[in-house]
Amino acid sequence: MESLDPRVNRLNLSTTELTSKAPLDQLGTYEVFSQLKEDKPYFHVGPVHAPNCEMAFLFAKEQFSRRQTCTGLFVVETRNIKVSVFTEGEDTVYNYISNPGELANGNTESFELFHLKKRGKQHEYIGTIEASSAEVALSMVKSEFINDKPVYNIWIIKTSDIESSQDEDKIIWDTLPDKKFRDAIAYKAADKIKEFKERQ
Amino acid sequence: MYGGGNTFEHIKSNGLENEDPEKLAQFEARIERGEKIEPNDWMPQLYRKQLIRMIEQHAHSEIIGALPEGTWITRAPGFKRKLALMAKVQDEVGHAQLLYSAAETLGKSREQMIDDLINGKSKYSNIFNYPAFTWADSCFISWLVDAGAIVNQLANARGSYGPYCRALDRICAEESFHLKYGHHCVIHMATGTEKQREMMQAAINRWWPPMMHFFGPSDKISVHSEILMRWKVKMGSNDDMRNQFLDMYVPKIWELGFTIPDENLRKNEVTGRWEYTEPDWEEFKRVINGDGPCNKERLAVRRTAEERGRWVREALLAPKTEYVAPLA
Amino acid sequence: MTNTEALKELIYKMADDQLILGHRNSEWTGFGPLLEEDIAFSSMAQDKVGQSYALYQILNDLGEGDPDTVAFMRNADQFHNSQLVELPNGEYDFSLVRHFLFDTAEAIRFQMLTNCSHEPLAQLANKIKGELRYHTMHADIWIKQLGRATEESVSKLQDSLDRLIPYAIGVFEPSPMEDQIIEDKIFEGEGKLRQQWEEAILVVKSKTPLNLPYFSLVKPV
Ligand SMILES: [Fe+2]
Ligand SMILES: [Fe+2]
Ligand SMILES: [Fe+2]
Repeated sequence: MESLDPRVNRLNLSTTELTSKAPLDQLGTYEVFSQLKEDKPYFHVGPVHAPNCEMAFLFAKEQFSRRQTCTGLFVVETRNIKVSVFTEGEDTVYNYISNPGELANGNTESFELFHLKKRGKQHEYIGTIEASSAEVALSMVKSEFINDKPVYNIWIIKTSDIESSQDEDKIIWDTLPDKKFRDAIAYKAADKIKEFKERQ
Repeated sequence: MYGGGNTFEHIKSNGLENEDPEKLAQFEARIERGEKIEPNDWMPQLYRKQLIRMIEQHAHSEIIGALPEGTWITRAPGFKRKLALMAKVQDEVGHAQLLYSAAETLGKSREQMIDDLINGKSKYSNIFNYPAFTWADSCFISWLVDAGAIVNQLANARGSYGPYCRALDRICAEESFHLKYGHHCVIHMATGTEKQREMMQAAINRWWPPMMHFFGPSDKISVHSEILMRWKVKMGSNDDMRNQFLDMYVPKIWELGFTIPDENLRKNEVTGRWEYTEPDWEEFKRVINGDGPCNKERLAVRRTAEERGRWVREALLAPKTEYVAPLA
Repeated sequence: MTNTEALKELIYKMADDQLILGHRNSEWTGFGPLLEEDIAFSSMAQDKVGQSYALYQILNDLGEGDPDTVAFMRNADQFHNSQLVELPNGEYDFSLVRHFLFDTAEAIRFQMLTNCSHEPLAQLANKIKGELRYHTMHADIWIKQLGRATEESVSKLQDSLDRLIPYAIGVFEPSPMEDQIIEDKIFEGEGKLRQQWEEAILVVKSKTPLNLPYFSLVKPV
């Protein structure tokens, strides 16, 4: 068949009957977090599928930071995120987390902590905690980061599981403000309509 | 892009008798309060199933929707239009990525969904089965088809499922660029040479019938589901969406001196509703069932892209990672 | 005082290369091997077209025509581009290898141009450093990944490399006014660029079992 799209005509379309495209070739899942400005917290922005952290970062950069501004981005494999229970209303998730028992003074690692402060919104970075495990970290949060506002869900990520943008790579977002063609404001035309109507 | 012409499965039995009544009551109360349902929350089977179906169709509409306008990527007139169109079509692919991800949180993998698209099992918006003959067609799509999509998407963004709403918030922000860009293109055509005006008018004439189909069959003949409305899965009736679109955009088309090929089109000032010639629903059914001008090409392109990408994805399959559903 | 003709000749060559490769790469938008890569590759095609636009604007300031007219209204024989950029896309390995070979050169070229005696060109080179950083990051990671994954992916990349290396070296064809360009400190020259490019290509290649020819024995296209 001849297409109107010259690109399609160069594709050599397959003409066989529709069939399933088994076997399934689904790549791994990564969650992406981004920071819009230096002094703003990181937020969860969505997932990408990729074979490894490096490529997940590559994909995340264009899918989740190709507009406005960005000062940092990191990815983490979804299965490496520890998720707490969900609550709602006035019920904070910290009601379900027991106080830290004996804090073993052994080897500790750092963990990154994220809160869901409003159902329907994104998880937001709250702070970093040194602990011997994610469970202990979770129990320590209570004393360190909690205020009166309810928290509906917590994510905890081992810092070493994160692939983050390096300071020297931040230039990859340098020209974002120049990409005006991706923004609605570049397409003002009220004057043209007015002029057109006056001519009628 | 996305039309309300969703083919919701006819709900024979809603299966609610098999659900835990206490959990069901909590679930409905949460929606009633205007709170979002998150992937980990309990939800009735029917809710999950219908949401997957709807979000999946929406995602397919984005990836297929990239094709009609893509027709003009290599030939868009001048740097500004070219950059904008490339970015716009790219956004549509991005929307597909966001929406597949949202549907995945409900338990269906992206690969399964794409598989169902290319083997013809699941649907996408009917309007993308029509061809973009000229640059003016591409202008029509960017402005008005996207405008229609925005009417639907803004409504759905107030729905009950958290991941879908978040995806739609991102999408709607980008759609405002599409809409403004598309309008800018059409204004340029309208205020240009006689030839340009003629081209634009011809495109409007071609696209008007599919545009009316875009919002799905009229309420008189479509399957209603009170329960999907109550659960905030479906956020408005097809006719309401169509009316909203006409109300916002018909005056804007007229103001540019174009005509719309329907002599019965007018706003009834008493009812506040638009009147129009009943769209040809037989044609709608025919096209959605595979017999439109471009159905074969659209699916063949998608399938070819998948086939040609197979070795790439195979080379990326890494034993160290594992597919899981996204978290939110 | 820079020789404007020599300067223009260089900018035309760069702008035409980017414009045409930007178009070729934009053909993948909507047809990519996976959604995320479709998006990433499209962004880089936009960068290319955008960079060529900026270069035509510099030419315009030097007295050449309006960018849209120059870019889209010339006849084929008035273009200064290399043959590498105009080859039809083929399979993804072909586009990816071309992207790797071309963008590696381009990143080094613009790095050199940050010292260009023509201030607007030096400014542009500084401005787009980040875009080019992402492009080479993308290319290197992909070549590393596909260049050592499956038998099929390795042999596909190898075939594309074999086919494209002569064209890639063709990018470094010296300008008829090369001496002038170097003397006026516009640019350090294609020879020097080629040398650094060969080193950069070898670094990435060394992480894979892929083979490269002896560059000095290759007949450029
Ligand atoms: Fe759309
Ligand atoms: Fe869209
Ligand atoms: Fe859109």
